[in-house]
Amino acid sequence: MPRREDIRKILVIGSGPIVIGQACEFDYSGTQACEGLRSLGYEVVLVNSNPATIMTDPEVADRTYVEPITAEFVEKVIERERPDALLPNMGGQTGLNCAIELDEAGVLERYGVEVIGCDIDSIRLGEDRKLFADAMEEIGLSICRSGFAYSLQEAEDIVMGTGDEPGLGFPVIIRPSFTLGGAGGGIAYDIDELRQIVSQGLDLSANSEVLVEESIQGWKEIEMEVMRDAAGNGIVICSIENLDPMGVHTGDSITVAPAQTLTDVELMRLRDYSLAILEKVGVATGGSNVQFAVNPDDGRVIVVEMNPRVSRSSALASKATGFPIAKVAAQLAVGLTLDEIDNDITRVTPACFEPSIDYCVVKVPRFAFEKFKGTSEVLSTRMKAVGEVMAIGRTFEESFNKAMRSLEQGDALLGADDPALADEQDFRQKVSVPTPQRIVYVIEALRRGWDVDDIYELTGIDRFYLSRLADIVSVERWLADRRLFDISEPEMRAVKQMGFSDVQIAHFCGCTELEVRAWRKAQSVVPEIMTVDTCGGEFPARTSYHYKTYDAGDSEAHVSDRSRVVILSAGPNRIGQGIEFDYCCVHASKALHERGYETVMVNCNPETVSTDYDTSDKLYFEPLTFEDVLDVCDAEEPVGVICSLGGQTPINLAARLKEAGVPIMGTQPDAIDLAEDRDRFSSLLDELGVAYPSSAVASTYEQALEAAQQVGYPLLVRPSYVLGGRGMAIVYDAEHLRAYMDEATRVSTDHPIYLDSFLDSAVELDVDALADGEECYVGAVLEQIEEAGIHSGDSACCMPPYSLSDAMVAEVRETTHKLARAVGVVGALNVQYAVHNGILYVIEMNPRASRTLPFSSKASGVPLARLAARVMAGERLADMRAAGELPDEARDFDYFACKEAVLPFDRFPGSKMALGPEMRSTGEVMGIDATFPGAYAKTQLAISYGLPLDPASGKVFVSVRDRDKRAIVAVAREFALMGYGLCATTGTAKALRAAGLECESVRRTSEMRPNIGTMLSSGKVSLVINVPGDPSTREDFYGLRELAVRYRVTNVTTLPGAQAMVEAIRIARGGSLGVRALQDL
Amino acid sequence: MNQLLAPTARRALLALEDGTTFEGLSAGAEGETFGEIVFNTSLTGYQEVVSDPSYAGQVVTFTYPQIGNYGTCAADMQSDRLSLAGVVVRDMCHEPSNWRSERSLPELLRESGVVAIEGVNTRALTLRVRDGGTMRCAISTVDLDPESLVARVRESAPISERNWVADVSCKEAYEVAGSTEPTAFAASDEPRATHKVVALDCGEKRGILQNLVAAGLDVTVVPWDTPAEEILAMGPEGVFLSNGPGDPRSVPEPSACAAELIGKVPLFGICLGHQMLSLALGASIEKLPYGHHGGNQPVMNLLSGMVEITAQNHNYGLDFASLGALVPELSGGESEHHDDLRWWCERHVAPVVETERFGRVRLTHVNLNDGTPEGIQLLDERAFSVQYHPEASPGPHDATYLFEAFRRLIEGDADYLAIDVREGRRF
Repeated sequence: MPRREDIRKILVIGSGPIVIGQACEFDYSGTQACEGLRSLGYEVVLVNSNPATIMTDPEVADRTYVEPITAEFVEKVIERERPDALLPNMGGQTGLNCAIELDEAGVLERYGVEVIGCDIDSIRLGEDRKLFADAMEEIGLSICRSGFAYSLQEAEDIVMGTGDEPGLGFPVIIRPSFTLGGAGGGIAYDIDELRQIVSQGLDLSANSEVLVEESIQGWKEIEMEVMRDAAGNGIVICSIENLDPMGVHTGDSITVAPAQTLTDVELMRLRDYSLAILEKVGVATGGSNVQFAVNPDDGRVIVVEMNPRVSRSSALASKATGFPIAKVAAQLAVGLTLDEIDNDITRVTPACFEPSIDYCVVKVPRFAFEKFKGTSEVLSTRMKAVGEVMAIGRTFEESFNKAMRSLEQGDALLGADDPALADEQDFRQKVSVPTPQRIVYVIEALRRGWDVDDIYELTGIDRFYLSRLADIVSVERWLADRRLFDISEPEMRAVKQMGFSDVQIAHFCGCTELEVRAWRKAQSVVPEIMTVDTCGGEFPARTSYHYKTYDAGDSEAHVSDRSRVVILSAGPNRIGQGIEFDYCCVHASKALHERGYETVMVNCNPETVSTDYDTSDKLYFEPLTFEDVLDVCDAEEPVGVICSLGGQTPINLAARLKEAGVPIMGTQPDAIDLAEDRDRFSSLLDELGVAYPSSAVASTYEQALEAAQQVGYPLLVRPSYVLGGRGMAIVYDAEHLRAYMDEATRVSTDHPIYLDSFLDSAVELDVDALADGEECYVGAVLEQIEEAGIHSGDSACCMPPYSLSDAMVAEVRETTHKLARAVGVVGALNVQYAVHNGILYVIEMNPRASRTLPFSSKASGVPLARLAARVMAGERLADMRAAGELPDEARDFDYFACKEAVLPFDRFPGSKMALGPEMRSTGEVMGIDATFPGAYAKTQLAISYGLPLDPASGKVFVSVRDRDKRAIVAVAREFALMGYGLCATTGTAKALRAAGLECESVRRTSEMRPNIGTMLSSGKVSLVINVPGDPSTREDFYGLRELAVRYRVTNVTTLPGAQAMVEAIRIARGGSLGVRALQDL
Repeated sequence: MNQLLAPTARRALLALEDGTTFEGLSAGAEGETFGEIVFNTSLTGYQEVVSDPSYAGQVVTFTYPQIGNYGTCAADMQSDRLSLAGVVVRDMCHEPSNWRSERSLPELLRESGVVAIEGVNTRALTLRVRDGGTMRCAISTVDLDPESLVARVRESAPISERNWVADVSCKEAYEVAGSTEPTAFAASDEPRATHKVVALDCGEKRGILQNLVAAGLDVTVVPWDTPAEEILAMGPEGVFLSNGPGDPRSVPEPSACAAELIGKVPLFGICLGHQMLSLALGASIEKLPYGHHGGNQPVMNLLSGMVEITAQNHNYGLDFASLGALVPELSGGESEHHDDLRWWCERHVAPVVETERFGRVRLTHVNLNDGTPEGIQLLDERAFSVQYHPEASPGPHDATYLFEAFRRLIEGDADYLAIDVREGRRF
């Protein structure tokens, strides 16, 4: 069927901020969808509140609304734009939920908007366990048998059976409903355990409900990525097998594509089931993900769930096969059939086929538990990973090793260098309990000579994988028996075919990485470049999507006459380094391609736009390590490598690459060092006459103590060379300092600790700028809403600054110019300042693209990342200015743009939830409005908690430290004027009453019930303003914050945050917040 | 298995007619084998592939690198013994893992006397075959001298010189009773009557037999050279022409038999059987550059416009234009043949030609990857055939409806091919 002519304009909903479980894979899919639809001639309207996305670039859609993804705001967009259709299944669960809300509110009907891709009923069917179970039964498939229980007796009946109803039998899994992070659940193997877990679960559950479910832990978990078109053609793009068996969320599992341990008979049965499920659920067109559990002992199959939309797994499947699922799904939604769409990679065959691959793909999740101390690291059915890496190799062994070193988490040696593994205590448990480190313990058990069968019994990891890991361990042993120069050419090739890095070989042979590299190159053991072509080599590939491997043969990397630039992206998403950097790299690639360069992207993160095969001229899906990057440079012979756009990962490689003879483009390693080396940078600031907080360096506690006395408390302490404020803290006294030093030595042993004077109550600024070695252009000055001391990545901010004088902003620009010139930056730079008592201090300077660059680009309307890449390639700012590409730095804006961080505390029960100098947010949202409070209000509406707009919904709770008591009165008064009731802890209540405000006194969480905790749990409080004071009140503070997160009550922890919040609520209550397309700014 | 982990494994050499050689390790029986090199792109189903009699005379390269992971089992065998000439893999799994596994693939190969090599850059090999076409090759664990082995490959007999069908066909006729269980395609849940058919065994895969039986057909399997009059004397309600190995032009008997059967009994052919029917209709058969071997080939059913993902295994194919001139009034007004048959797919027209002896023949199925013919149907007689493998084994089950179509043809249903692929997905 040809494309539909009755549709002209299509609304696409994005997925909003990056949160755990919903990350930048939806930027990838949304961008593909927009491009796919526009290439067919449709007009695309996009709504997404996340500014750090490629999809919200003004040129991706025709009309781009960076607005909250709520029914209210999307309706406003619909009202303005009058789209004919809505494509809801590109924006994750957020997109689907919004579509359902719009449908229920009658908006879709009112404006005559047709839902395309999947209808509302099918979304509901996929979501509702009961409906889904019935549907599966109708087509003869089993799902996990279960029942809801509201009492102990009911639970026992479900397990033991009643009358003619057979029971589930033991073991069973008990999941209390509506508890945070699955708290209170467990597996019961007998009646005693059942009684214990169920009673505990009923207590914890908000509605005294537990789900009692047949245990399928230990079963194989298989995912099928399936597509269907309007004609009813169905194809399976990829099968994915989880290395971790059922019980661990697939997002937290190591996964392998294609499935390795199923026979064709078994796999084709899953294919039949998957296609039938799509039919039954009513997925009209597009991609879906179907998950199965397969009993490893008899092959029995259970349907776990299906998602009628693109997903994290479909992004992975796209990268694993080269099949652009999201783009094709979008085109199917407008009536095309699979046979009418070309396979982009071969260009001579249709998209209606099932990819065949001739390599093995391994995905490994990346976690951030070190940021959330106090929470359990045990993995369960609730996802906790913040990112992932994918690796491509010819065998599982090779891909696995590549993936482990891609993680950049110290696992490149699979734990062979980790003394902690020698610890006998609880070793068996560490092997058996799924945690992020479990895989390394499994490998260690193999090193200790444990039998594969024993480990299988403990872990449920299929023997196939365990045997392959045992092979890796055997090669480790083989290496340990040899000296490097005894290894022959075929032996070296065989070692490399197992995926061993030069670093691994060096470790076991007792030599250096560079010696291994030199020896193997002398023997001509260099990687062969292979191509991802969707068809196992059956047809020639027209795209250059490559990976390295060590089969002997001819390289498939065809080196052209054009000048090539290698761009190093950011690797796995982690807290502090995520989609923002990938955004910059994608822009660099586009800008340099336009300027005639051949662009070569290197990255290992399957969730990103940068790893789409048509983002750059060439793509290498490879780890971002020295060895792998240098191999790519050897193959591609670039004129330059861009290291300063992908965050700290490539920056850390720059100096070694340069030493190895690779030309670095833009800011040179020495300039990077000048900005990052405290001593050198301080001297430079002294020379320039720029103020900075007094500071000191220390390597031991004694040194630190002495330095602290000189500088004075409070201090901001941190290790050198880290991103995202890892290991950063504010210390108030010597005791704190001691505790910190004990902890910090583990963060970074090679680098000393910095102690900076902490500027209490200062205003912090973030500046994004460009420099070409001669002059500098300040793209955006962002004022942080939280006070100094909170990591800039976790702080809300606003552009242009709303509280600073023009003179101060001019000084900020002038200082930035001075710094950029003095350091010798060529490309992007970011400077953080603090304004304290009217004096401008430089906090730090990063001679690279910053996390805020995408926001700054969107807020200012200047494509800073693109321009940075062009500057690095030798263009001049003066020429850009002359061409009208750089608007006046001092221009006025007729709008405010705010950014707010999104925090993942609800995933990590038990961890401390206060903001501080260590970054912990996963993502961000943007709001644009004519006023600052309006823009701030939109950011609050865009994050899921929402704003308490109705005074009847509950009281405002206030608890602040003494020195903020005067200032909080004005905030409280405004709430009272709007009709909100007030409650406060004793001290704060006294201050409010003294100002004539009516206020209820409430006990702290640590005091006798009823207290603020009971008020929160009974829904009597709708907003918490809780500013922490001295250390003695910290426990109360954390307790309250955790309760607020649990009961989903908006929680403000700073005074400026509270001031912005009350204004935002006032504006939002007025109902006058409009929507504005980026194209109209 | 990585060579470091197999220090005692015997070395092996693969040599191609064009002079290319690949060193590796023995992964099956020791010795030497000569054959025609082909590559198969299926991700799973290596056991069904190595036990498929159609591969007789061929050395099969698996493009997926790690083969043997889930072992082998008797239930998945497509014939009693392995008939292929040799196996080439990148990495052979010697410690398989699956509840169905009875022995490892290298064990099966060794016990069946099939020479195999692992450690080969199978992607480089595949690209060479893709660009250079199918060619003769050898695997040896005896002669490890590249020059010598290449020279001997060049002296070896091409696959077309031999009648491989005689090797793999059954020697004696045997019978299998049809199932009365209704399949997903059946109109009701009542037990179904069976029909008696004869299957001419040119190397029939067990999966085909199982599908015929499941469609409620009592099957008498007869040797490949059984004369038509003998078959007709059995009083069958339909005759099935099976798949099989080699160049159909080297085996004239089955097509001669088919020519005698047309018009006397409903016919259904698969793969070699399709080529035999085509030859009987007077068409010519061509050799494809490197054939279709895999489980992901898209085929459009021109009657429904639906696409089936099919399993395929053939190096020879029908030249559709050679069947006869187009009948414009049944071909959307078109009177010119088009080399690339996807021309018809884009227009959703199933063109019809007029043959010399057997009236009109319609093109029913086309390969969307390369526009080659995949299925035909006689309009004036009761017969149809497909080039691909509806029984899959290995591969997707999209085309199993064709066995039901055969049943409907026998039952006299004029619209026997009008079955929705999706109906077969109930279970």
